[in-house]
Amino acid sequence: MAEWNAFYHNEDEDEEQEEGEQTSGDYKVTGRDSLVFLVDASKEMFIKGEDGELSNFDMTMQVVRSVYTTKIISSYRDLIALVFYGTEQSKNPRNSFKHVYVYHDLDEPGATRVRDLDALLGDKGEKLAAETMGSGETSLGDALWCCANLYSDIKYRLSHKRLMIFTCRDDPHGGNSTKDRQAHTKARDLKETGVMIDLMHLMKPGGFDVSLYFRDIVSPAEDESELGLQLKPCDKLDDLRKRVLAKEQKKRSLARIKLILDEGINMAVGLYATAVTARKPGAVKLYRETNEQVRSKTRTFQTQTGSLLLPSEIKKAQVYGKKKIVMERDEVDAIKKFDDPGLYLIGFKPMEKLKLHHHIRPAIFLYPEDDQVKGSACLFSALLKKCSEKNVFAVCRCTPRRNIPPRFVALVPQKEEVDDGKVQTKPPGFNVIFLPYADDIRNLDIPHCPIASPIQVNKMKEIVSKLRFKYRSDAFENPVIQQHYRNLEALALDMVAPEETDDLIMPKVEQMDIRLGPLIDEFKNMVYPFNYNPDVKPAAKRKTDDGGGSEKKPKVEVSEEELKNHMKNGTIGKLTVPLLKDACKQFGIRVAGSKKQELIDALVAHLGS
Amino acid sequence: MARSRSALVLCMDVGFSMSNSAPGDESHFDLAKKIIQKFVQRQVFAETKEELALVLFGTDSTKNPLHRDDQYQNIIVHRHLMVADFELLEEIENQIHPESQQADWLDALVVCMDLLQTETKGKKYDRLNIALLTNFSTASSSDNLDIIIGNLKKAGITLQFFLPFPLDEDEQGGEDGDSRGPGHQGAGKGLSSEQQNALSMMKHIMLSLDEEEGLDEVYSFRNALQELHMFKRIETRPMAWPCLLTIGSSLSIRIVGYKAVTEEKRKKTWMTIDAQSHQSEDVKKETVYCLDDDNETEVQKDNIIQGFRYGSDIVPFSKVDQEQMKYKHDGKCFAVLGFSKRNLVQRHLFMGNQVLKIFAAKDDEHAGIALSALIRALDELKMVAVVRYAYNRSSNPQVGAAFPFIKKNYECLMYVQLPFTEDLRQFTFPSLENNKKVTPSETQLSAVDSLIDSMMLVEEDENGETDDLFRVHHIPNPDFQRLFQCLHHRAVNPSAPLPPIEPWLKAALERPEVISERCRAPLEQIKKNFPLTEVEKKKPLKTSAQIYGKDSGESDVKKAKEDVEEGEYNLADITEGSVTSVGSVDPARDFCTLVRQKSLPFGEVCQQLTQRIEQLLSNKNTQYYMKSITCIQAFREQSVKLENAELYNSYIQSLKSSVPSRGLEVFWDLLRQDALTLISRDEVEGSTVSKYEANQFLVAEEKEEEAMAASPAGDVGDVDDLLDMM
Repeated sequence: MAEWNAFYHNEDEDEEQEEGEQTSGDYKVTGRDSLVFLVDASKEMFIKGEDGELSNFDMTMQVVRSVYTTKIISSYRDLIALVFYGTEQSKNPRNSFKHVYVYHDLDEPGATRVRDLDALLGDKGEKLAAETMGSGETSLGDALWCCANLYSDIKYRLSHKRLMIFTCRDDPHGGNSTKDRQAHTKARDLKETGVMIDLMHLMKPGGFDVSLYFRDIVSPAEDESELGLQLKPCDKLDDLRKRVLAKEQKKRSLARIKLILDEGINMAVGLYATAVTARKPGAVKLYRETNEQVRSKTRTFQTQTGSLLLPSEIKKAQVYGKKKIVMERDEVDAIKKFDDPGLYLIGFKPMEKLKLHHHIRPAIFLYPEDDQVKGSACLFSALLKKCSEKNVFAVCRCTPRRNIPPRFVALVPQKEEVDDGKVQTKPPGFNVIFLPYADDIRNLDIPHCPIASPIQVNKMKEIVSKLRFKYRSDAFENPVIQQHYRNLEALALDMVAPEETDDLIMPKVEQMDIRLGPLIDEFKNMVYPFNYNPDVKPAAKRKTDDGGGSEKKPKVEVSEEELKNHMKNGTIGKLTVPLLKDACKQFGIRVAGSKKQELIDALVAHLGS
Repeated sequence: MARSRSALVLCMDVGFSMSNSAPGDESHFDLAKKIIQKFVQRQVFAETKEELALVLFGTDSTKNPLHRDDQYQNIIVHRHLMVADFELLEEIENQIHPESQQADWLDALVVCMDLLQTETKGKKYDRLNIALLTNFSTASSSDNLDIIIGNLKKAGITLQFFLPFPLDEDEQGGEDGDSRGPGHQGAGKGLSSEQQNALSMMKHIMLSLDEEEGLDEVYSFRNALQELHMFKRIETRPMAWPCLLTIGSSLSIRIVGYKAVTEEKRKKTWMTIDAQSHQSEDVKKETVYCLDDDNETEVQKDNIIQGFRYGSDIVPFSKVDQEQMKYKHDGKCFAVLGFSKRNLVQRHLFMGNQVLKIFAAKDDEHAGIALSALIRALDELKMVAVVRYAYNRSSNPQVGAAFPFIKKNYECLMYVQLPFTEDLRQFTFPSLENNKKVTPSETQLSAVDSLIDSMMLVEEDENGETDDLFRVHHIPNPDFQRLFQCLHHRAVNPSAPLPPIEPWLKAALERPEVISERCRAPLEQIKKNFPLTEVEKKKPLKTSAQIYGKDSGESDVKKAKEDVEEGEYNLADITEGSVTSVGSVDPARDFCTLVRQKSLPFGEVCQQLTQRIEQLLSNKNTQYYMKSITCIQAFREQSVKLENAELYNSYIQSLKSSVPSRGLEVFWDLLRQDALTLISRDEVEGSTVSKYEANQFLVAEEKEEEAMAASPAGDVGDVDDLLDMM
């Protein structure tokens, strides 16, 4: 059995190898992140604003809910807890703390928990909170102690621990110095065990004075500027959400490599993925009887003898010019090696030389790692400053990991930007833009382009101006992913139907039409002749295409002999994909993909050459 | 689908004059053969469908269909029209040799024409081409020239000539002498009368075929080889994507999209084969499923259903349900959501891995005008269209931006995907400007300033024209080049190891030499002004979280110390004063404490200490060496104090004897600098070592060390650095 196990491979292993070059956004998980929301439930939190503004409590709950749902999508393995303090009722593991109510202990967020949170929203939520928890005395020290216990009960390895305090009271104990001191001690204990404590202070009449009490509770900011404490209190939902999200996301580098100016001048930098295409998560396989998750194992064996194959008994091959060219597995890797990992500086170019359309992959972000090479941050900072002053970008040869062929990248300087609330909107560093090689640029036959007259252009300008809006990169949710999670939510919670999703990337045609009014017709009159209908032609054409195509070709089958002939002459590539597919079916060959090459490879393998 | 089809005849002169060459020069024959080899190689790896034939002339034997009596002699059709393969490459390598006859190149041309005509009969070809490689050394008659030209024109056959000398008189001046034939001063002067004659005939043919650019198809061997050194890029035919661009409900413009830039992947994947039989069908991969229990109970495929995670919950969700409930849309679409300022769309937030170029539908003048109006309006307003894009019904819709793009000879929209909310990760990083520790000084800034100036890859000449020294989009993907190089090498030499990367490719990936020269001094300045010190390598940290907030050097050293120890090191042990054994954190202090406490016999404490020392020395690292030195120092001091020299002396003697075998020369050097020699009789009465012996103990080592000088050279540098730092 033991031997058997040794040859099981991870199913995805090979795919990973193929895609290894891509810097995907997935990190190796070495532990779980955890986040504790410690929310003040005192009466002050429930006071509504004058013009029906949300109460601080309501606002907090909305933000907490959105963190739950984003975590479910982005990193469901992270642990979240929700604890209230200043409550009348108490509920905690050993009920040893008064006025602390653990609503959710540290666990993975799930559907039920989201529902629980929904119940705390709005007026109904306020009522429920009053009924179940009420507002009472405050002891932040007890609350922090209770949170510390939550951590110690966890059996997982935690990689990152964060605790966020939401409150609008800057002097929670009303001057009770014993309680103040106790809370300070507990906060220090927590910080010593690696918990980061953040304060999400909310609006209160007369302003929130951080220095009054909370200064010593929270963890010092990562940099000297003490950005965290200079923040104004939040009074808007969006601000709070932004602030929480910014803190909540743990940044992990994709790789830490050297930025090499020349031999002997190496800075350490980290690569971070700031925009990664979110995909629907893959399905998990379950055992029908128990709905229990099953593991998959892949083994490789010799079809003739049935014995398992050791890695050394396997080689790799490709066929070119009718010849099978064989390599060792490590040679296949060795071919991909050009440099040791690193960013090798080639030179600089003026910004306008960076072509907008030279885009092949999402960019990544570069930030110095002073703890690996001391002095990196200083040189990096100087480089950043000068590049942006001189409006140039750096060209580097980039090898992110071992055995990955190099790509050239542009390092585009990005200065730090903060918004009114002093929340960082753009971090300082370089954006790494991947540049295409000659092979990546396709030759197109440029069609004839007629040019519009100035009057026509001006009319279009009017149209464009009518439909102006301010683009924000975070404004569009992915309808596919949203629908998927709504469906899961509905199934998980036995709902009758999934919640409706708004398709935000659907044009709001009616509104657009109203805004444009007669402009559209005016423009059409200028550019289109009478009875020209752009909608009809392609549709009609497609019809004839489809109809004609299927009639003309009543399934041509290729005989084995023909196929062999094609193989011999190397002309098999001339056959169309449908033909090849049919041929595969004919011989009962199962093909993993539907790419032409895969089909051909399968056929060649089957018929032998 | 009409695939383009083309046929090419390579027609090579192998006659005796081809093998003549001046000493040291490659013969014309060798050059011509190289060209053919490189060319066929490229065809093989690009997997073009172009069919190739090979005709040789000047051969000793004759084998061609036109051969009658003394007509068309010494011409061989070596290979008929066929897709290029390794067999052909091997034949070229092994079967083509210089031969001793001569044949008329015009006759050879006629054989090629005949071959093309007979072998392509009844099939449709887009391109018929003949490439002739010769040095024109044979006399040929121009009698039938006009008939030949007429036939070439009629059949639509194009010609290419490859000659050992450049055609152009002007070109010669700039060319290196070596590109010309042996003994020739210049093409015009040095050529024989036959060659002159043939040249003018060739010019006549080429200009008759194409009046203007005919002579562009005449190449010199040298130029051709330069062009051919890289493997051909694999051509992909752009697929047109017809669609409607819509603004609101009633304005549609017929458009067609093409992928313009996209990351090309290797077209072929490696197949797994059995090492012995080299057959892929002998290897089978099988996936089994099992429960996550102790027995790893296997589960049959039929008993597996699919589910999805919703946070901590796993929701069973059948494929049928999923298909039915999933997001559906109306299919293909390019609909404007609105228009926005161009600068709001940030370059670093481009998503996806392609850029589409959007043109108006072909042959639709009206669509062309309408699209042009949009492109120009956007360009003048500096705006972009934000659009919903869906390739087809089964693909997921995207949000993206369409940028106006106006070139001299064409204009279009360029579409790039933009992120969804879910794709973004808002990371915050510590400010670099507000942090005094990392703020560069004025001197440092000016060093960087001049570095940037010296390394500008784009230069402007007096005429205001810019010259880019490093165009990434002109470099062929090195991954493909290297792969093909290795595959080719392996195919031709199955048992040889893989070749090194080709020099031209290596050079193409490096900093241009001009820049390297220019930036040398500024780089020196950078080196001087920016101290960069590598923080001691340690075991890879378990999590990145541990790094954050711990950026002071001290904690790193502490970590390094902690890592030495196998078990967990507990801070409490020391602070509370309950030292029970010699720990690894501060063994010297533990040792002293234990000796003072006298709770353990001296011998045992010493043994514990020496174990720690050994442990430390197993890490060949100056930091650990220093710690060991402290231990030995303590050992010596305590031994002297307790007047027990025996344990110390015997340890240090055994340590000395193990120095060469363990490569501890650097460490020993440190020990000597601290004069930690044997304890002599002068210090402790019971010692068996005399003062002289003690002094010699370390000195002797010195000599020995010098004798075997070689190994530690590299490490010594480290020690010096370390000492300087301290």
